[in-house]
Amino acid sequence: MANFERFNPIPILKGLYTTFHSTFFEPVVTVQYPEEKRPVSKRFRGRHHLRRYDNGLEKCIGCALCAAACPADAIFVEASENNDDVRFSPGERYASTYEINMMRCIFCGYCEDACPTQAIELGDQYELSFTERVQAIYTRDMLLDTVDELEKATPRKVEPGAFDRSIPMMENPD
Amino acid sequence: MNALLEKHTKDIEDILKKYPEDQKRSAVMPLLYVAMRENGFVSKQDMYDIAEIIKVSATQVASIVGFYTLYHDKEGGKHRVQVCNDLPCALRGSGEYLEKLCENIGIKVGETTEDGLVSVESVMCLAGCDKAPMFQEQNPDGVFYHEDQTVESTLELIEQWRKQEAK
Amino acid sequence: MTEVLEEKTTKLVNLTIDNLEITAPEGTLIVDAAKLAGIDIPVFCYHPKMEPVGMCRMCLVDVGMPMRDRDTGETIMEKGKPKIQFGRELQTGCTVSVSEGMVVVGYTEKVKKGRQDILEFLLSSHPLDCPICDKGGECPLQNLTIGYGSGESRFDLEEKQHLAKHVPLGDLIWLDRERCIQCARCTRFQDEIVDQPVIGFQNRGRKLQIVTFSEPGFDSYWSGNTSDICPVGALTTADFRFGARPWEMQASASVCNQCSVNCNITFNTRREAKSGGDLVIKRAMPRQNEEVNEVWLCDKGRFAYTSVKKDDRLTQPLIREGETLVETTWEKALDLVAEKAKEAGKEMVSLVGGRLSNEDYFNINQLTAHLGGKSLLNSEMAGGDLVSQVGLGTGSNIADMGQGDAILIVASDLEEEAPLFWLRVKQAAERGAEVIIANARETRADRFAKYKIRIAFGQETAVILSMAGAKEGIAVEFLADDAKVKAAAKVFSEANNAVIYYGSDGLGLSGSEELSKACAFLLSETKHTGRPNNGLVAVWNKANLQGAWDMGFRPSETLAADLKNAKFAYVVGNDPASKDILEKSLKDTDFVVVQDVRLSETAEIADVVLPAQVYTEREGTYTSAERRVQRFYPAVPAPEMTKPDYKITAKIAKRLDLSLEKIAASLVFLDLAEKVADYAELDYVRLAEVTEQWPIIGRDDLFYGGTSYQNTQGLGKQISPAIETETIKYEAFVPSVLSKKDEFLAVPVTTLYDRGSTMLSSEVLQPRIADPYVILNTADAEKLGVEAGVQISVKLNGKTANVTAKLDDSLAKGIVLVPRSMGIPISDPGSITIKAK
Repeated sequence: MANFERFNPIPILKGLYTTFHSTFFEPVVTVQYPEEKRPVSKRFRGRHHLRRYDNGLEKCIGCALCAAACPADAIFVEASENNDDVRFSPGERYASTYEINMMRCIFCGYCEDACPTQAIELGDQYELSFTERVQAIYTRDMLLDTVDELEKATPRKVEPGAFDRSIPMMENPD
Repeated sequence: MNALLEKHTKDIEDILKKYPEDQKRSAVMPLLYVAMRENGFVSKQDMYDIAEIIKVSATQVASIVGFYTLYHDKEGGKHRVQVCNDLPCALRGSGEYLEKLCENIGIKVGETTEDGLVSVESVMCLAGCDKAPMFQEQNPDGVFYHEDQTVESTLELIEQWRKQEAK
Repeated sequence: MTEVLEEKTTKLVNLTIDNLEITAPEGTLIVDAAKLAGIDIPVFCYHPKMEPVGMCRMCLVDVGMPMRDRDTGETIMEKGKPKIQFGRELQTGCTVSVSEGMVVVGYTEKVKKGRQDILEFLLSSHPLDCPICDKGGECPLQNLTIGYGSGESRFDLEEKQHLAKHVPLGDLIWLDRERCIQCARCTRFQDEIVDQPVIGFQNRGRKLQIVTFSEPGFDSYWSGNTSDICPVGALTTADFRFGARPWEMQASASVCNQCSVNCNITFNTRREAKSGGDLVIKRAMPRQNEEVNEVWLCDKGRFAYTSVKKDDRLTQPLIREGETLVETTWEKALDLVAEKAKEAGKEMVSLVGGRLSNEDYFNINQLTAHLGGKSLLNSEMAGGDLVSQVGLGTGSNIADMGQGDAILIVASDLEEEAPLFWLRVKQAAERGAEVIIANARETRADRFAKYKIRIAFGQETAVILSMAGAKEGIAVEFLADDAKVKAAAKVFSEANNAVIYYGSDGLGLSGSEELSKACAFLLSETKHTGRPNNGLVAVWNKANLQGAWDMGFRPSETLAADLKNAKFAYVVGNDPASKDILEKSLKDTDFVVVQDVRLSETAEIADVVLPAQVYTEREGTYTSAERRVQRFYPAVPAPEMTKPDYKITAKIAKRLDLSLEKIAASLVFLDLAEKVADYAELDYVRLAEVTEQWPIIGRDDLFYGGTSYQNTQGLGKQISPAIETETIKYEAFVPSVLSKKDEFLAVPVTTLYDRGSTMLSSEVLQPRIADPYVILNTADAEKLGVEAGVQISVKLNGKTANVTAKLDDSLAKGIVLVPRSMGIPISDPGSITIKAK
């Protein structure tokens, strides 16, 4: 049975003090997600992006080393050949199919490490939820960076012989 | 059918006679000289014709043309200046010599001057390493070696050719 | 493993490689001896199938020999062991052969440094293409650089040569000039192995480059092999360009069904987006079988898989309703077929093609026999029964033939009919075997033949009979060169071992039948039967005609009438209606069932069409012309509604109260082995057995033998000819004479790149297909006013066609060669009229 004579209010008051203090005197740390979003760290590994060079050509050469490095077997790549009338990337080949199954991906970043042209980068988007399994497959068009000018879009027609290397040697080819 | 054979029937038959029945392919080198007589180079069609005459593949004929510096598969100047650019010659400065020479004549390696007098080529070993930079001159009269060359001496030589030509 | 080499040379020497004491036959090269001992010596230019050249210098090793006393010649001993003196310089392991007491060292700093420097030089002008290179992942240069390279280069990256990156060396092979390391494997292959030097080196030193001057470029049936043995990605095949990375693909064993050699292949498969995520074949690679195709493949076999298209496949049973074929269910279709078959009873005919598996043939034959019908084969060659009697003896391997042996080729353009046979016979000739050719025209096999008997078309049988010594009724006097025939006959009969290859050059069915009989007679007269490397080989023009014969199918001289009189025709895996005469008779057949993979011309006039499966989608066995039974395995999934042929037949049989196996091909084979005596000792497990093969190819050391696959799925089993157990007598006979009524006689010949469905529907091979043509004698052409390459009009069997005229000096006057499957249907020699346009 409870012993009222021995009732000690101090612990309760201490506790109430903590509540009182943090409510009125401490800064608010709760973020109103999804209205508000916390910035992510620089090294955060979120949804992937396929990058482009400054001239709009795609960096990906379809080598599938990302798929080979992927421990979760989440990436599927198929390559095709570029030509000067239909050019996607400055090298000989480009990824005609590029799919990442986000449900499989463990965001380890190995694909980023494996990429010889720094075409794939893990971005900071982490809101990946799906209502159907098929939605989890991010295709090439979803992953590729968008371009702001029409002339930078791929595929495009280029001067014959302007790109004659298998893999572009330079950081940003003309 | 075979233009080369038709044009030089007698000569080609004489050459072929020298070789035993099962060794006719050995006639390829003299036949290439026959083909070069006219224009100073072996055309692609000549290679096919020779291949047909001695029953080898045209690719084999082309390989021989490519291997020897004495055969040409492209039109060149009257005087072909063939600079050896192999390692020992390069160590004695033939690379720089070739570069400067071309600069002075105003053409690139493998090209011919506008007047069709001189073409400059870079070739493999001519067995003159100790007297490098050196070049082999080919003109309609034959093949001549010019050793211990400097850009100046070669330019002088070219000037002489030019004068001869003018006469 | 050493036994393979030991058989050939008896003298063995002892040597030490990397401290391992080994024994190797004298004359073995150091690289091969090391390979036998399981030690890797890296190579680029060396290939075990070709002569060593020592061009790449990658196989540097330190070679020491026991020191000898100058006066006594005695070996100098030191601490109880021979004192070894090493050379001052490193030597190339591919050009030095082993000798007694030799010590080879490959692990010292000196050797390591030597190899590092070679790699540094090779890479000084090699691009960093690995991520996009088709060879990347199975590239010897890549692997050896990781294994033996120094990891860094002293050369400036900027100074790398920039050369042409995609040079089409013909329609099938692409050349990347930057990647070439000038090992000359490809040019040596074309020169040494296939005697077609259509690619070669031009220029010298760093400017050295591969060129082709043939028309069309790289004009060879063997070009694909150069890409297998290329140690870098310089030569790649057109079909696989950027198709997939090597490590992404699965491998499944198969057997090529383009000709009767039955080369072992491996299909590489991968899922493909444009096929809706289905598993598809990405490329075909050779699979080592030293008794069949070694490590090579012809281009047709390599690229034939590209002709199988998903869209033109039959995927649903079809049933005729009035004028059109409508889709139906299997149940309905099979019920109708069974009902009609029952009605027809004895008046049914099964007509099969030459590319079904043994299991299919067996079931179809069982069903036909059950009804009492006829089992017919749609083929223009005969003699399968004789091959099963006097075929190659058990344990035959053409690679064992050489000095003292004879090979007779009759009526066959061997390279066109069966490329790998041509290659194997050529190699036997190089080892010293006497090759005798009795052909009516010049072929590529003439080059290595010692006896070339030029006969006229129609004399094939006569020449063989006269070689066998038969005189009566044989018009020997019209043979081209009697003395030569006698000399050849002597060589043939005195040979230790002798094999006859008979083909179908200029022959129809009746001619083929006579020729095969004559061949069997010659073999039995000369006692070249029942022993290894002796016997008869029919150079069939389809993959499994021998299997069809073994299972009881026979071609018919009266096929048109047979079909016409039949009440029920069960046409499986062939297209008789593509020939006018057969199409007419099929229209008279009461009920036609076609079982095929495509809607063929015959299917279009059929009453019921049943969708079958392609051989890449199912299991089965083929019997090669050398009577080797080999298994093929499924590589890709079949369309949902299709079924393998043996299963469809079994389902029909079930409705006719005949129980046939249908669960699996292996079970059908058990039934087959029980009923077909020759196959009695075989089952799927035995067919999958593998023994050690030399050279060791296709493991993780791709640098040694190229990217040909190791055979782990079965070398197959050669079945014994009947003559090994029973006595069979053959009689001489009077051959029929091929009469020439009109000015021109058309004779059928075979060309590898024909206009058959395989070639026409393959985008890769298509550019190599010639327009329809016939070959005329030059003199005849002059008379007609026809020049080479012009269009002429020909009339054959009542059908007129416009074709290109080709000329040939070696052809007899009045003869016109008409290639089979080349636009003008021809099955027998016959009159042809030619008009210049």
